[in-house]
Amino acid sequence: MTTRKFFVTSVLLVMMSLVGCSDKEKETVRRRGTFAMDTYMELTAYGDNAEAALTAAEERIHELEDKFSVNIENSDIWRVNHSGGESVFVGEDTQKLVETALELGRETNGTLDITLYPVTAAWGFTTENYRIPSDEELNRLLEGVGWQNVSAGGGQIIVPDGAMIDLGAVAKGYTSDELMEEFRENGVESAIVSLGGNVHALGRKPDGSCWRVAVRNPFAPEADMCSVEIEDCAVVTSGSYERCFTGDDGISYCHIIDPETGRPVRNGLVSVTVIGKSGVRCDGLSTALFVMGAEKALDFWRKNEGFELILVNDEREILYTDGLSESFANLSDMTAEVVSRA
Amino acid sequence: MPKSVKICLAAVIVVFVISVIATLVILSPKDEKSAVYVEILRDNEVVCTLDPAVETDRTFRIECENGWNEITVKDGKICVSDADCPDRTCVKSGYLRHEHLPVVCLPHRLVIRFAEDDES
Repeated sequence: MTTRKFFVTSVLLVMMSLVGCSDKEKETVRRRGTFAMDTYMELTAYGDNAEAALTAAEERIHELEDKFSVNIENSDIWRVNHSGGESVFVGEDTQKLVETALELGRETNGTLDITLYPVTAAWGFTTENYRIPSDEELNRLLEGVGWQNVSAGGGQIIVPDGAMIDLGAVAKGYTSDELMEEFRENGVESAIVSLGGNVHALGRKPDGSCWRVAVRNPFAPEADMCSVEIEDCAVVTSGSYERCFTGDDGISYCHIIDPETGRPVRNGLVSVTVIGKSGVRCDGLSTALFVMGAEKALDFWRKNEGFELILVNDEREILYTDGLSESFANLSDMTAEVVSRA
Repeated sequence: MPKSVKICLAAVIVVFVISVIATLVILSPKDEKSAVYVEILRDNEVVCTLDPAVETDRTFRIECENGWNEITVKDGKICVSDADCPDRTCVKSGYLRHEHLPVVCLPHRLVIRFAEDDES
């Protein structure tokens, strides 16, 4: 190579690298927030189709809320709860979600029970007019509780007269699954949604890295307890520190009710986080496993695939399952112990 | 080494150094990009946009028909420091710290979140 050629080539190479660096494109990000299902939902999508995808996603949220709401007159669930025990035709989403919830009820031995609504209402968790119901009242209400009494099939749902169902423990999970589908159909490959305590991510971040999702410290909700790195996954947390009240007896009552006793759960757990591909399953299990307590929850995890757990007990200990060993980071001063399947 | 090669080598080094400096200047965060804006929304309408990093530490109230939230900007961070809502979840949430997790007061339909900013 002649000196001249060497010089020209060197200059060109440096210039090309410079152009290459400065030409780095910015990824479009669009964010949308909406109030629905008694919470605030924040949707973030990346890429050229983000805006259209968010519009479709927001419409889907309100469409599902109109079907699943207990309070919206003539929603599928409202009609079921006011049917006087008659069979009610419902939309495909409601049919699917009720079937999934009943299946989770069967799998978890009834620790997830969609017929618990009258008991939850008696404690005031549906209206925030909190009270402690008497034993007589709870026993009477528990007579109408039982997921086994609900029939779903052929587009129809039958709930016994006097019983009521509520999909609050699974609706946001189902919604996040549907939003991921909506994003995919609209050509979005990277998105994340936060629906109250439910986070669900599509793909990876635009830069190719995993999403880092923080879990709140149940003893200090203003701080993060830990984080997990995820890809195409839902992260759902149920905590006893949310929606709780202190009764005249000085006891703190949380919104998660044990279907067996009709009383708020007090089993030593303060927070259960479920991480897995299916938003609806993570959502339902976060409640069901909270009701089970740490030991049974970990047994359930050992016998079932497709999800990982982060449990926190009232002794300020974190237990996380070994599928998270690579992605879990403890951000608190609590002890964190990994649990294996063996 | 012939003199012409020395000159050429020196020229390449000079061009390289200039290029590196230029690259750093071009890729360094510009003022408008380094700013991380935060939006305060009421009923999904933006009522205020600010960059906590350049704001003077201050506390202000946002009123609505059913109550108020006191917002505090301090040390480049923002939070709801007080509120008259029944659950005070917004106050317990602490400082806004995650891009995808806003601070929310459901009873007052108030949201504090990071603004959209196209990412590289």
